[in-house]
Amino acid sequence: MTHATGMKYMKPGVLPHMWCAGCGIGGMMGALLRAFEELGYRNTDTVVVTGIGCTGKLDDYLLTNALHTTHGRALAYATGIKAFKPQLKVVVVMGDGDSVTIGGNHFIHAARRNIDLTAIVLNNLNYGMTGGQVSGTTPEWAVTSTTVHGNPEREFDICALAETAGANFVARSTPYLGWEMKEIMKQALEKRGFSLVEVVSPCPTHFGRNNDMKETAAMLRWLGGRALPIEDYRKLPQAERKQHFPVGTLVDRDEPDFNTRYDTIRARATGMNVR
Amino acid sequence: MKAVATLERETRLLQGNQAIAEGAIYAGARFYAGYPITPSSEIADECAKRMPELGGMYIQMEDEMASIAAVVGASLAGAKALTATSGPGFSLMQENLGLAVMGEVPCVVVDVQRSGPSTGLATKPAQSDIMQVRWGRHGDQSVIALCPATVRECFTLTVQAFNFAERFRVPVVLMPDEIVGHMRENVALPLPGEIEVVDRKAPAGPPASYLPFKPDEDGIAPLAAYGSEYVFHVTSSMHGTDGYSNNDPANAAWRVRQLHEKIERHRDEIVLTQSYYTEDMDVLIVTLGATTRAARTAALEARAQGIKAGVLQLQTVWPFADREIAALGKRARMVVVPEMNYSGQVAGEVLKALGPGADIRRVNKFNGTIITPQDILDAMLRPAGAQTQGNQP
Amino acid sequence: MRDSRLEIRIGGTGGQGLILCAKMLADALAAAGKRVAQSQTYEPTSRGGYCNSDLIVSEGEVDFPLATALDCLVLLDRMAVKPSWPLLKPDALVLADTRLCPELPEGNRDVKYRVHHLPLTRSAIELGSERVANIVALGALAAISGMCERKALERAVRADTPKSFLDLNLDALAAGYRLGEQEPALAATAP
Repeated sequence: MTHATGMKYMKPGVLPHMWCAGCGIGGMMGALLRAFEELGYRNTDTVVVTGIGCTGKLDDYLLTNALHTTHGRALAYATGIKAFKPQLKVVVVMGDGDSVTIGGNHFIHAARRNIDLTAIVLNNLNYGMTGGQVSGTTPEWAVTSTTVHGNPEREFDICALAETAGANFVARSTPYLGWEMKEIMKQALEKRGFSLVEVVSPCPTHFGRNNDMKETAAMLRWLGGRALPIEDYRKLPQAERKQHFPVGTLVDRDEPDFNTRYDTIRARATGMNVR
Repeated sequence: MKAVATLERETRLLQGNQAIAEGAIYAGARFYAGYPITPSSEIADECAKRMPELGGMYIQMEDEMASIAAVVGASLAGAKALTATSGPGFSLMQENLGLAVMGEVPCVVVDVQRSGPSTGLATKPAQSDIMQVRWGRHGDQSVIALCPATVRECFTLTVQAFNFAERFRVPVVLMPDEIVGHMRENVALPLPGEIEVVDRKAPAGPPASYLPFKPDEDGIAPLAAYGSEYVFHVTSSMHGTDGYSNNDPANAAWRVRQLHEKIERHRDEIVLTQSYYTEDMDVLIVTLGATTRAARTAALEARAQGIKAGVLQLQTVWPFADREIAALGKRARMVVVPEMNYSGQVAGEVLKALGPGADIRRVNKFNGTIITPQDILDAMLRPAGAQTQGNQP
Repeated sequence: MRDSRLEIRIGGTGGQGLILCAKMLADALAAAGKRVAQSQTYEPTSRGGYCNSDLIVSEGEVDFPLATALDCLVLLDRMAVKPSWPLLKPDALVLADTRLCPELPEGNRDVKYRVHHLPLTRSAIELGSERVANIVALGALAAISGMCERKALERAVRADTPKSFLDLNLDALAAGYRLGEQEPALAATAP
């Protein structure tokens, strides 16, 4: 049996990629492209939409249709694509800055609208591209280039936000759990409605170095130790939960997606037209 | 065309903003994404009603950044798409409008101009976004902008805006002022087929060799739609003909030049003006939008007083009608430029076109009220060199 | 072109249906082959605050589309007096509501207007809703000025009224016509 490599979706001659050694983006991309392959995605009807930052560079490696957008707005661009042409498979790959910091409002409303997009959020806990500054998902008290005495703000729980806002599918993984991450991505891609996969990822260059985890292995161990399968996480006493984050499928529901609902609007509008 | 013209024509009492929505639909627009803002909201209202009737879509986004983003996304999926807004919303759209320029994405943005700065006078007219339309985005780029003066022009110039957007792969800004946007007039709308409707040029060669940013002879590259057999990349970053990032200086220079040149090359086709009473004129009024109506009345009243005044209306604001103004200005002893802003945004461009020494009379009003024919007459009758009083109290 | 120009303002406050009123009049005039331009001034609120709706009527295309010299002024609130009074043409027709606009400015001795104080809102209240004062005013204006055909105006009212309000609006229009027809033909007088 041959295993999916995802290489058929990659532009020839682009490797090695530009991300730092130990960065989680390459692993995330590998999992996503393997998921594409296992699901039989075609370049012609797949559109990958990216934002700005380390993760936003991902489209440059792909042979699928792609739209590399402005910072924080990827979901809004993707909404236009999907809303107008529902038969396309639209995948939005963003960092934590794009998705829930500068672009937080679009994230909330894409989930509320339950538009049939798959959002992959690579959460590396800081702004890597600009030199490791604090983001909306940097843990409280963590050190970054702009919180040298520790982060006084609390971090967003991206998955909780998506769940509350109305996403049909919410899951979390880490590159520490490579195979599982790909399987979760497949579920998200297959899901109709807004689906989110948060990939909590190492950034040894900035976040790791700033927080006593300079070695990639140290960061991975830290992530691996904090990640708990959702079933185990739920068993923890409240006080201990703060040291962990749940991974796996957190939300799976089947509310009608935006395009399905809009078909009703069209039916009503044309019905009204018959005077 | 003749057969069409003999058909029964429907005359309707229509608001400028409604005419813009109707014009967009006539041009083939089937996607509207927007965020409500005075004084543009009637365009959204009309599109919300009409788009789903036609199998199209109206989607109300969470803000104006998202609105223009969704419009660009839909356009790349093959839609003729528009959004409409006013000052504050237009400011928010600038960054993503820049992507539409960079990615050469056809789309139409309507900026119904209201009084600023900031929230300003939300329900009052202005013509003060003229420079923002041209230069509001960072980086050096070019757009096309059109400005209607009547309800009928709201319709026809919207069709034209889509035609230019599609033909030149560029965002086109339609910039009526609040007066024209909210005015109702009884108009005979063009019948189907009466105005030409242009669609973007699609690629024709083998899909594997499609280069989404390689211009044809006419300077414009064909544009595929997501979901066709032509797979393609669009990026806000500097890119080569294949749409992938490319940081090479020679490539960057070529791209920036090409984005400007594709418009400059076709400038004569794009620059639309209307002349009134200019055959024998020696006083020229250069005007746009609702102010055109005051200028036409002022010209007639001036003629009644023995002053041979004529009017040049700038239907296309950008690229600027510098050659047209220079040609008429040569025959005029005086050029009057009425505009609803403080800075003389049009007058500055007129000065560039005519050169120093021309007797250019600015008429500026920036208190949320329209320039009247009398304001323009007063400027004509002022002794040469006398300064404008700016705004009346 | 200026000779055939007729300028009409319906002034009052936001929410009184001033724009609708002007639209109906515009429709009736357009049906008679006139060219019309309708515009409005309003505050950034949907209800309350000074509001006017202007209609410029012309045989050919309307050039300057806003009011500069009013031939007709309907006042449904005292708030509309101050911004509108300076625009009145000599001999202009003024309809003012007795209840909401009881007092008018002292006129310039040399400038005379044809002023009719009419119980527009009172008639509307008697019909069951103050909200149709705009339609009463429309009927009265049409009756006194004779600017358009009654049938055309009725058609315009029918076209722009939801079914459930149609009877009320047609009654209001008729009431307005009655008020207008009872008025004596006025020579211009200083108010």
